[in-house]
Amino acid sequence: MQTSGTMKWLWLAIGAVVMLALPQLVTSSFAIDIFIRILLFSFIGVAWNLMGGYAKQLSLGHAAYFGLGAYTSTIMQVNYGISPWIGMVAGGVVAMLASLPIGWLCFRLRGPYFTIATIATAQVLMLIFLKFRDFAWGAEGTTIPNLGSAPLMMQFEEKSSYYYVVLGLLVVGLWITHRIEKSWIGYYLVAIGEDEDAAEAIGVNAPKVKRDIYMISAFLTALAGTFYTQYIYFIDPATAFSFNVSIEAALVSIVGGIGTLWGPVIGTVLLETTSALLQSWLGSSVGGIQLTVYSLILMAVILWRPTGLIGFATDVYHRYLRRKPARA
Amino acid sequence: MWETLAQAVINGLLIGGIYALVSIGVTLIFGVVKIVNFAQGEFVMLGMYISFFLATQFGIDPLVSLVVSMPVLFLAGVLIQHFLIRRVLGPNDMPQIFLTFALSLLLLNLSLMLFSANYRTVHTSYSDEAWHIGGLYIPVAKLIAFAVAMALSGLLWVFLHTTDLGRAMRAASQNRDVAMLMGINPNRVFAVAFGTALALAGAAGSLLMPFYSAYPFVGQVFVLMAFVAVVMGTLGNVMGALVASLMMGVAESLGIQFVGADSGLIVVFGLLLLTLAFRPSGLGARRGR
Repeated sequence: MQTSGTMKWLWLAIGAVVMLALPQLVTSSFAIDIFIRILLFSFIGVAWNLMGGYAKQLSLGHAAYFGLGAYTSTIMQVNYGISPWIGMVAGGVVAMLASLPIGWLCFRLRGPYFTIATIATAQVLMLIFLKFRDFAWGAEGTTIPNLGSAPLMMQFEEKSSYYYVVLGLLVVGLWITHRIEKSWIGYYLVAIGEDEDAAEAIGVNAPKVKRDIYMISAFLTALAGTFYTQYIYFIDPATAFSFNVSIEAALVSIVGGIGTLWGPVIGTVLLETTSALLQSWLGSSVGGIQLTVYSLILMAVILWRPTGLIGFATDVYHRYLRRKPARA
Repeated sequence: MWETLAQAVINGLLIGGIYALVSIGVTLIFGVVKIVNFAQGEFVMLGMYISFFLATQFGIDPLVSLVVSMPVLFLAGVLIQHFLIRRVLGPNDMPQIFLTFALSLLLLNLSLMLFSANYRTVHTSYSDEAWHIGGLYIPVAKLIAFAVAMALSGLLWVFLHTTDLGRAMRAASQNRDVAMLMGINPNRVFAVAFGTALALAGAAGSLLMPFYSAYPFVGQVFVLMAFVAVVMGTLGNVMGALVASLMMGVAESLGIQFVGADSGLIVVFGLLLLTLAFRPSGLGARRGR
């Protein structure tokens, strides 16, 4: 979508004001909870999209980094009293370091088998954390000590404060994506995504580019893990390394628009709103309904609109408002 | 010590037969249609539920209901190939991966809604029977499952090597474009390959039912094993998948016996990671387009 420079800044300013004012206008804690989920999964989706969307390295194992981030900060906080703000960055670094051997192994496979290898690594990490009890509480997990209002320990009494934290994370994620999109590495990523062999043939150092973007993606995903643990005050291997995190990270990007800046955000808004509506209509008693609907949406997008909602919106915009062919 | 070891190997081989049916299906689809079916495990699950309902509603033995579950899933496979998979075939991985992944999510969560998360079991006359040979313990239900699984794999081999359609499938898996030039109808071959693979998954489900519980997530156990076996056994190779599956069954069983009850999966994933680390080219090299 082409918008002129000033228009773009205007829209961004309006968006910023709305996003900042939202928790002051809508005070129901149910609604704020949904906003926080939307922002959190948008952020995870943005992190996934860097690697999965631009370079088409379709990981279904980002829960590995979500969990590593969550466990690093929690272990530091519960065992050593270190603030999760520091733990969050430490978790990001741990995830980055972990992405090196994991990537070294998984990038040996391409396409669907890369995807399977990433699933396996996340599962292995979950099993490891289940097994080593004295290291990280085993299967029972642990609750985070509630200190009341302690901003320095990432604990707030107002839900809206959590909202601003995760909003900040999302802004950082989008800004990084924007910078990468406009840089050489962005073009390298797209080239690798289109055809890895061809990209290498014209001199793109594909293994290095993939390794770097995987590190950035892992780092960001780990930040989300720390935030989530602090938000729900609880950690165990099943939630920290939940396959659902890996699934949702990929789904929101694909549904919204894979390899686009705003795709993951738009996808999350659609999926999380649908999920919230389903829950208020049917209650949470019907297990499986949320993912049933998600999978139907995913199938519909893949079969009819592989470019996602953003692609759909662009097509409609060009066809009916601009009277130009969808793809010039 | 030796008896424990032998017992663990036998247990592994017996369950490995079931893994083989699932992995042969995965590798057949990969070889011919060139996609990975992430939903393969869910078709094992459907096979189990078909046998479960036939057993509880009509008192049909799970082994007999094989003659229902296999054709039903074959038909399902043909329809899925025709109406869904055919539309995403092409050079782009993303739609293929996420279409079958969405199918897996859909079937899993629909079953969760329709059948609930409860564990369902069928008790047959031979469910608790076992042979004692020397100091070894051989459960009859698992032995039957293994024997039928091997027989079906053998039948598939004969089909692939002696019939025109089977030869066409092998030709398509070796070089699709040349096979098309030789007058092989790709849609027909793909549909038969997909149907056959799902029928094998259905057979695995029915064979499991006398000694294994059916629940919506049950397919995940088998599909992960199958993926690892297919990677280890050289992608797209039916014989490789069979041998690797038996090996994986044994490795898992040895892991459970000697490392701990919950470490079967760690051993299997460990094997996958070791294979990737030390024999990546031998495994990935044949994955061409």
